[in-house]
Amino acid sequence: MYRNDLDGGPDAKKMLSHLKAKDFVNLMEGIELPAKRRAHLDTCDECRSRWHALESVHAGVSSMDDDIPEPDWVQFRSNVRDRVLSRTIQRETAVRRWTGWAIRPAVAWVLSLLLVVGLTTVAVMWHSGKSSSPATSFLSPVSEPAAEAIEAVPEKALFDDLVQLGDEEQEQLRQILESSQKGSRYQ
Amino acid sequence: MERTLTASVTMVAGNSDPDIELVERYFAGDTTAFDEIMIRYERQIYRVCYRFVENRDDALDLAQDVFVKAFEHLPTFRRESRLKTWLYRIAINHCLNHVKKHAHEFVEVTEYTGSVGASAQTQLEDQEQREHFRRLVKQLPPKQKAILELRINEQLSYEEIARISGRSVSTIKASVFFALEKIRKLVKK
Repeated sequence: MYRNDLDGGPDAKKMLSHLKAKDFVNLMEGIELPAKRRAHLDTCDECRSRWHALESVHAGVSSMDDDIPEPDWVQFRSNVRDRVLSRTIQRETAVRRWTGWAIRPAVAWVLSLLLVVGLTTVAVMWHSGKSSSPATSFLSPVSEPAAEAIEAVPEKALFDDLVQLGDEEQEQLRQILESSQKGSRYQ
Repeated sequence: MERTLTASVTMVAGNSDPDIELVERYFAGDTTAFDEIMIRYERQIYRVCYRFVENRDDALDLAQDVFVKAFEHLPTFRRESRLKTWLYRIAINHCLNHVKKHAHEFVEVTEYTGSVGASAQTQLEDQEQREHFRRLVKQLPPKQKAILELRINEQLSYEEIARISGRSVSTIKASVFFALEKIRKLVKK
């Protein structure tokens, strides 16, 4: 293996006098070898034949160079410019979209907070209004039971009862009231 | 072990480097400077890309990708390195990724655009020889192939290839030697 030429290995001692990878590359590049190496090359058929083989491969690889077709460079530059422009626009749109998404949750939070505050206020007002004066509350239901209403305002209920008495009963009630008033006046 | 070609470039370029002047102009708001950069390097980058994919359309797409990437990442370009080295590195990395991604899709594509004038027989023989070498070179590992072609066909110096690939000059020389040796052995078969 030629790797031994570079790294040293079991065959390194045997190959010591042969040219190394770097020497072959330098030869192909036209760089002069040190005198000792040059002397070896002049006497070693193996190294010389390898060098010539590598040179012919080098020439073969170089010959591939002619085959590359030339494109339209004006069109090429125009395409690059278009792509750069479209990517710039895409990036700006994406940035705007991200900014929008950053704002949207904030708006949603504010709206939901307002909703919660509003509902809480209404609920608090509802409960406080109900406990203080249910009869006057604007949310007071019309189907309030009659008995509870009489308990709350006894004078009015008594008057209603009075209105419902017959003539005879009313006369008797008036006499009772007058006699009780007279009694209290003499006391 | 395969390594990616991403080593940093530490070469210091003088202020007189026309590439750096173009970059400075571009940053100063002169958008025509990027066109000038393209004009300077489009052919070289396209040729490198072509060597990986061996067909015109794919090579053009890859070369366009390289310049679009270069344009987008120009603000990250460290001006102490050479623009040419930087562009080549983007191209090589992009092409290696492309080859890796599309390894199963590659088919033999032959495009002949050689000059007309020699006899048809000689032309055919030349073409066959070129095709033969192309097939042999294609059998090399992508990175070894890239290094060989950068040296032989793109005529970059060993120092430049070392900077592009982030390896030592002696490693690059060894890589060229082993690539040629491999082809030599394939020719013998």
